[in-house]
Amino acid sequence: MKIDHSLPLEYSTEENRLKIFGFWIFLGAEIMLFATLFTSYFVYENRSGNGPTGAEIFELSPVLMETILLLASSFTIGLGIHAMRLGKQKAMMSFFAVTLVLGLGFLGFEIFEFTTYIHEGAGLSTSGFTSMLLTTLGTHGLHVTLGFFWGLFIILQVKKRGLTPETANKSFIFSLYWHFLDVVWIFIFSFIYLKGMM
Amino acid sequence: MDFFDRFAVPHPSFLIYASMVAIGLTVIAVLVGITYFKKWDYLWREWLTTVDHKRIGIMYLISALLMLFRGGVDAIMLRAQLAIPDNKLLESQHYNEVFSTHGVVMILFMAMPFIMFFFNFVVPLQIGARDVAFPRLNAISFWLFFMGAMLFNISFVIGGSPDAGWTSYFPLAGNDFSTSVGSNYYMIAIQIAGIGTLMTGINFITTIFKMRAPGMKLMQMPMFTWSALISNLIIVFAFPVLTVLLAMGTMDRLFDTKFFAIGDGGSDMLWANLFWVWGHPEVYILILPAFGLFSEIISTFARRNLYGYKSMVASMVVISAFSFFVWAHHFFTMGQGALANSFFSITTMAIAVPTGVKIFNWLFTLWKGKIEFTTPMLYAMHFLPLFTLGGVTGVMLAMSAADYQYHNTMFLVAHFHNVIIPGVVYAMLGGLTYYWPKMFGFMLNERIGKWTVWLMSIGFVLAFIPMYITGLDGQARRMYTYSEATGFGPLNMVAFIGAGIMAISFALLVYNIYYSVRYSPRNIGNDPWNARTLEWATHTPVPEYNFAVMPQVKSTEAFWDAKKNGHEIFKGKIEKIHMPNSSGLPFIMSCIFFVFGFSMIFSIWPLAIISLLGILGCLVYRSFEKDHGHYIPVEEIEETETKLRGAK
Amino acid sequence: MKELFPIKQVMGFVFSLILTAVALLVYFVDMSFTAGMTILLVTAFVQAGLQLVVFMHAGETEDKAAIYSNVYFGILVALVTIFGTLLIFVWDM
Repeated sequence: MKIDHSLPLEYSTEENRLKIFGFWIFLGAEIMLFATLFTSYFVYENRSGNGPTGAEIFELSPVLMETILLLASSFTIGLGIHAMRLGKQKAMMSFFAVTLVLGLGFLGFEIFEFTTYIHEGAGLSTSGFTSMLLTTLGTHGLHVTLGFFWGLFIILQVKKRGLTPETANKSFIFSLYWHFLDVVWIFIFSFIYLKGMM
Repeated sequence: MDFFDRFAVPHPSFLIYASMVAIGLTVIAVLVGITYFKKWDYLWREWLTTVDHKRIGIMYLISALLMLFRGGVDAIMLRAQLAIPDNKLLESQHYNEVFSTHGVVMILFMAMPFIMFFFNFVVPLQIGARDVAFPRLNAISFWLFFMGAMLFNISFVIGGSPDAGWTSYFPLAGNDFSTSVGSNYYMIAIQIAGIGTLMTGINFITTIFKMRAPGMKLMQMPMFTWSALISNLIIVFAFPVLTVLLAMGTMDRLFDTKFFAIGDGGSDMLWANLFWVWGHPEVYILILPAFGLFSEIISTFARRNLYGYKSMVASMVVISAFSFFVWAHHFFTMGQGALANSFFSITTMAIAVPTGVKIFNWLFTLWKGKIEFTTPMLYAMHFLPLFTLGGVTGVMLAMSAADYQYHNTMFLVAHFHNVIIPGVVYAMLGGLTYYWPKMFGFMLNERIGKWTVWLMSIGFVLAFIPMYITGLDGQARRMYTYSEATGFGPLNMVAFIGAGIMAISFALLVYNIYYSVRYSPRNIGNDPWNARTLEWATHTPVPEYNFAVMPQVKSTEAFWDAKKNGHEIFKGKIEKIHMPNSSGLPFIMSCIFFVFGFSMIFSIWPLAIISLLGILGCLVYRSFEKDHGHYIPVEEIEETETKLRGAK
Repeated sequence: MKELFPIKQVMGFVFSLILTAVALLVYFVDMSFTAGMTILLVTAFVQAGLQLVVFMHAGETEDKAAIYSNVYFGILVALVTIFGTLLIFVWDM
């Protein structure tokens, strides 16, 4: 394994550069995955059948909390990568831990939101609209959940093995994933919630 | 016993029971055979755990040929049923199942793995790489595809086949109208295979962008590699649509969501819409590599460099974007307005332009070439006129107003077979003949090969040209029979004869493989076709590491320039080579995927949850695993090189 | 401590909060559908671009061109799919 010391640790081997590039391509696929969900959502937006409409069930406060938590977590993981590039393992791990805690907070609010919806009669099989709403939000939430465990395992590996080309590479790729989830959330926030409440 | 009732086939017939027995006996025979010859260890070590792109490619090839056989048998049954009016060979339900599986098998489990075979075997060799970017991911891709295909194929003996067409439109595919688990098979088996395909796309884009031999610029890549790049690009952006679509279909069938329901705000038309948002790019995923193969074959056997390299690349880039702009032409009659139809009508006609550019480039490559009519070239020569015919009928179908006449008739069936068979299938078989010596060290017999091509084309013309006529006269597709008064009888009989000739042609291909294994000469060297690109510069059979010394490239046709213009491509001395380790994880994880898929199909929730945890466990294991690959020492490389050079 | 909070990223975060606040205008201020959608489109895409450039370092390697082409192609196809579907299902049904 040739290590190129002129580059940041996460780019230092050929394999690492391949992985980062490959992950960017994967994010391209993720753009299309969420675009399909948005496409369908816009079709179902006004197809609420006998169930509630978006304007009836959306509430600003939990959604705003989720947004702020996720934006903040995107900021802290950026700081984590910055600390990693400075070689500060402790600071990096702290930032990653904060990120995951914020992610967990996001999930908490989302679960609360979902139970409220179901309580209000907007379940998975109520109408085309509710099916699609819960599927779109659920897909994003599932990504965050998977990301939470992924991040957890990476922190464990950094703790055990230190900052090596491998762990740095994994951390960087994870950060790309996490930022991407934030981008998706921005679109959910704007075009599902705000548009629905407008 | 209630639990086991779900596995019964809802519409059993003698044929299905016979298949059950045949499948059972074959499986037992294979297992006993492997045990008797003590090949389990070999199988596990050299194939099931391999991450070598060449071996994965060959496994794709074997799967594709098996599926070609399965889909071909379906096709013969369909044509036999329609050969005479009021035929009683198949019941309507059985006919529905056969045309549904014929479509799915041929597109997703025959044509897709066939192009995957070419990606895997050819691309790394053509760009002078030692493997793909992510060898283990590549193994996962293959095994997920394979498990998806197997899952789909057991449907007709366990629980019942899908019967809503290969497009599986709702509401027909919904629980109300498709009561068997057949459509569950469709949703879940294709989902599993589709995840594998998406990973292949990511893998090959990375490989082609990042692992080209030193000196090879993007605009110096061989045309097949270009086509593979574009095709994989389309895969990456089209397959997520299928993932979402199938997930929605699965949820409708299993969890009572209302996506495609008729009431409650559902929209059954959205299925058709999203299906073709994926489905139309999908046909370009198939045809572009076919174009790439024809480009290689035509320039090799016209003994000329490819005419219009840049326009070839440009037209493929245009096609890659346009393939996403035309999907609604599959449902002009669905009820949207004239504006939408006009838009998609125009984009559809526009996409014929870059395709036409390619046809003319091939013709100009042939112009003043020293053409040599080998079997692969013969496939290409039959492709050009037949495919153009299919393309022209495609433009006819593109006109939305006229489409009301053609829609859902045999005219459409004739059209898409007319592009897929001379386009994709000819490229696959021609390419197979072309690359066969590189894989196995001997050529397929030319005489039998040419017979195969001619029979294929005669059979094709007889089978599909009549459908244009009956289609225009109003014969609907997917109808299991018709009355004598319609007058469709004679032409359908001709089509049946044509299908029979195509079957003979396929049998001849199989015989050719058998014949050549026994009688073909083995000392053919590394470059039996006098070809032009890098894959022919290394030894036959290709050593594990592909190239002992990394090739240095200065031109589009690196190997040709090395032969004719004295470019030196192998400079420098042999160094130790880093190679990835084999791994059993891809196979094991895909087996768990199979169990997961099966339990989802039959709603066996505890097993589904356990196997899902198993899949996640595999991912966690991979995350914590340390795997740095291994080095092949210089002495071992030199030994291999000497041995291979001696074999020449 | 200060080196752990680079000004570029802090500014990026502040800016993304501001964009969120601007987007909230469509909820609190009474405005036409067109005006609201324009605000949302602008704030969402600016914010996405911000993440891409400031936090994800999309342009820091030799693969910049390939990575951006990939993202742009994705966005192009995504928009065509969304608007094409809306054309079929909503605007021209």
